[in-house]
Amino acid sequence: MRALAREQDKLLSGVLAFAVHVLFVAFLIFSLRWQSKQPDTMEVQLWNALPTPKEVIEVKPKPIEHEQVEPTAIEEPVPEPSKEIQKPDILIKEKIEKDYKKEELLKKEKIKREQEKSRLEELKHAKEKEELEAAQRQQDDVRRQQQEQAMAAQTQIRSEYVTRIQGKIRRLVVLPPDIAGNPQAEFDVVLLPGGEVLSVKLKKSSGYAAYDDAVERAIYKAQPLPLPPDPTLFPSFRELHLKFRPEN
Amino acid sequence: MQVAQDLSFISLISHASVLVQLVLALLLVVSLLSWWVIFQKIFTIKLEIQQTEAFEKDFWSGANLNELYQSAANARRDSGTLEKIFEAGFREYAKLKKQSGIDSNSIMESTRRAMRAAYQRNIDKVESHLSYLATIGSVSPYVGLFGTVWGIMNAFRALSNVSQATIAHVAPGIAEALVATAMGLFAAIPAVIAYNHFSHDINRLATSFESFMEEFSNVLQRQSGSN
Repeated sequence: MRALAREQDKLLSGVLAFAVHVLFVAFLIFSLRWQSKQPDTMEVQLWNALPTPKEVIEVKPKPIEHEQVEPTAIEEPVPEPSKEIQKPDILIKEKIEKDYKKEELLKKEKIKREQEKSRLEELKHAKEKEELEAAQRQQDDVRRQQQEQAMAAQTQIRSEYVTRIQGKIRRLVVLPPDIAGNPQAEFDVVLLPGGEVLSVKLKKSSGYAAYDDAVERAIYKAQPLPLPPDPTLFPSFRELHLKFRPEN
Repeated sequence: MQVAQDLSFISLISHASVLVQLVLALLLVVSLLSWWVIFQKIFTIKLEIQQTEAFEKDFWSGANLNELYQSAANARRDSGTLEKIFEAGFREYAKLKKQSGIDSNSIMESTRRAMRAAYQRNIDKVESHLSYLATIGSVSPYVGLFGTVWGIMNAFRALSNVSQATIAHVAPGIAEALVATAMGLFAAIPAVIAYNHFSHDINRLATSFESFMEEFSNVLQRQSGSN
């Protein structure tokens, strides 16, 4: 009895121990997977720049709906007055011609109504035009914003890479001794698409020829200079105006 | 330059170096064994406490000593430690009592020796594998730490090939390595807790056995004095 119970205990404890570990491993796998998903949410934040065009797309269909609704509203009242007018016309022709004035009055009313209608229609057209123009203006604004954003991104990339280029060159400058103060040397550098230096021109000397030479040597030594991976951005890097100081 | 973006647990382990994987496997086996021992001990100690309480109840309810001895001898394998101590003591007492010419002091001495022998044999059985838990509790954090140190060493060695060092180059390696420490702690913490808990329980059992031995020898002495 006891031996059997002990055997059962051993088996049961083995199973329980295994279950504990399965739970532990499952916890590790799932908890760490959640962590690995966090970068995805950070990628989603990059889309924040785009929602504005979405709003425009939502706005667009609205004027179209108005256009579809309004013409029917205008057409409906038109046949009703004409029937009213035709009926009295027939009656008048059959009975008396004296009520000619009435007819004239009616005609005048008709003309007035038509004039009013046309005026209303004109107003409506004008409104529609305004709406369309407003929508277009919004679109233009969005486009301009996007362009500005793209430009801003470009300038940001440009400034980032220019600082990188300057940093790489500065690291390679071997400072000559005996430089008083912090004089600035300015260079015009022409680059090739691979990051090679085509030409270096001293624009403004620092006053220390040794320092100017050291910087020029460093510029050549720093080849290839770091450039953004996107080749379409290269034109803005073709000619660079770089400024260097011994101490930054 | 490849930077692992996916930091899921499986990829962490599969990217780790062979030694770290070995350490992890060792720690997993050790942890499995320790949990096996933990559950086994839970069952045996629970059973032992139940049996002790049941026998003490029987004993102090004024049952006949001969009847108790008969039932204990019949259910030899199924009996608890306390019952075995009683059985060994009573058997010795009865044997020596039959032989004439032995004074009561030496009868009591040998009875006590028999009981003590039974007590030690059984308490040893209850205590078995407890030292294993203590060893796991003290050693497995170091084993895990060894895996971590090795993994971090590798992570930094890989860094030497890169000109511009960023944290992204080291982070996956360190994360991999830290899994080993986590595993070591996972094995150690339950083992230490269980070891302390079980040793406390076994101490309590041992004191209750010892006090029973004293009380039972008093009872026997009274009987031999009255006879």
